[in-house]
Amino acid sequence: MAPPQLITDFMRLMLLLAPSAAIICLVLAGLGLRQGSVPDALVGGNFAKWMFWAIVFLTLPQLISWFPSFGVPASLPSGGIGTGWMANLQSGLANFVQNFLLTRLATSFAAFFVLRAILDTVQGGHPLPSILGAMFLLAIQTTLNLINRYNSGASTATADVLDSLWNYLAGTLCPIAAGLAVIGAIWNFVSHRPVLPMVGATLGLLTVSSIWKLITTMM
Amino acid sequence: MSFYNGLLNLTNWAGNVIMPTLGALFIAFAVIQFARGYHHLYSAWAYGGLMCLMVSGLLRMFEKFTGQLGWNNPDLYWNSLLNLVDWFANVILPVYAGMHVAVGALKFGGLFEQQVHHQFSHTRHFLGAILCLMVSGLLRLGEFFVTRGTAGVR
Repeated sequence: MAPPQLITDFMRLMLLLAPSAAIICLVLAGLGLRQGSVPDALVGGNFAKWMFWAIVFLTLPQLISWFPSFGVPASLPSGGIGTGWMANLQSGLANFVQNFLLTRLATSFAAFFVLRAILDTVQGGHPLPSILGAMFLLAIQTTLNLINRYNSGASTATADVLDSLWNYLAGTLCPIAAGLAVIGAIWNFVSHRPVLPMVGATLGLLTVSSIWKLITTMM
Repeated sequence: MSFYNGLLNLTNWAGNVIMPTLGALFIAFAVIQFARGYHHLYSAWAYGGLMCLMVSGLLRMFEKFTGQLGWNNPDLYWNSLLNLVDWFANVILPVYAGMHVAVGALKFGGLFEQQVHHQFSHTRHFLGAILCLMVSGLLRLGEFFVTRGTAGVR
């Protein structure tokens, strides 16, 4: 027996709203980047948690494709929403997230983070976490496109995206961060603070993939 | 707008615009510390100023250290540390040894040391005044050293 039209349309509504939910998660991830230290936020913190949920929402159809193997029939409805008010709701919510939350609010949050970077410096803190948070918030659309590009479409898409993001982080972003670590080392040297941790971090940022290989070889 | 572009441009701006400018400030601080007789402080500012002028070179140096083996070689981190230690022991320390031979020769003279050593206030003040008037020249000298030093970057 075919499911009622309303149920099918509700499923379509939920699936079509998944990218919007992913955008909300990315905005929350950007805000989470500034809570606590950057290493804490990146691995195991709020940033990591919201990034994970963004990836889950973007790979939801692929995740649901596992259900038949558990003995739960889950055929996803294709096509557009047939019920008028539901289609309007989906269109309105997607429009709200895209044009208000992503385009306007996230940009305003980024501007406040730039202000916070200056205030952090006034208090003797470090401006970098706030600047990185602002950059992430301004680049949410590009990050979304990047995650979509890494989506393999297979049932393992969630893990594939995470693998690809790790590769992107280790192979593209970390070598650039090594340049910032060199600057940090010089700054520490001038201000009579320990330099060796920064030197070790510079070498580490340039050899992340190799350290991963070292750990797997040890196992 | 992408996070990659943002991070790349932030690093380039900090390393190639801000740090060389701060380098000039650090050299000025070094001159002031020298003039005030804080001989244990001015060298850190002076070396810091010089390093600010060669952020890109230092990064290339670390890239050279970490690029001797394949990216997936488990020994890469160890090899990078080995290259760092090797460079420090076989390049920096011989130069440092040469400096100390020169300082030793100057101290050996005794009388010469009493004339020019910065701990003695009269020469220190005169030398400090001269250095204060030629901070720009010192910066240009540092830039000259860095520019000439690029020949050593492979």
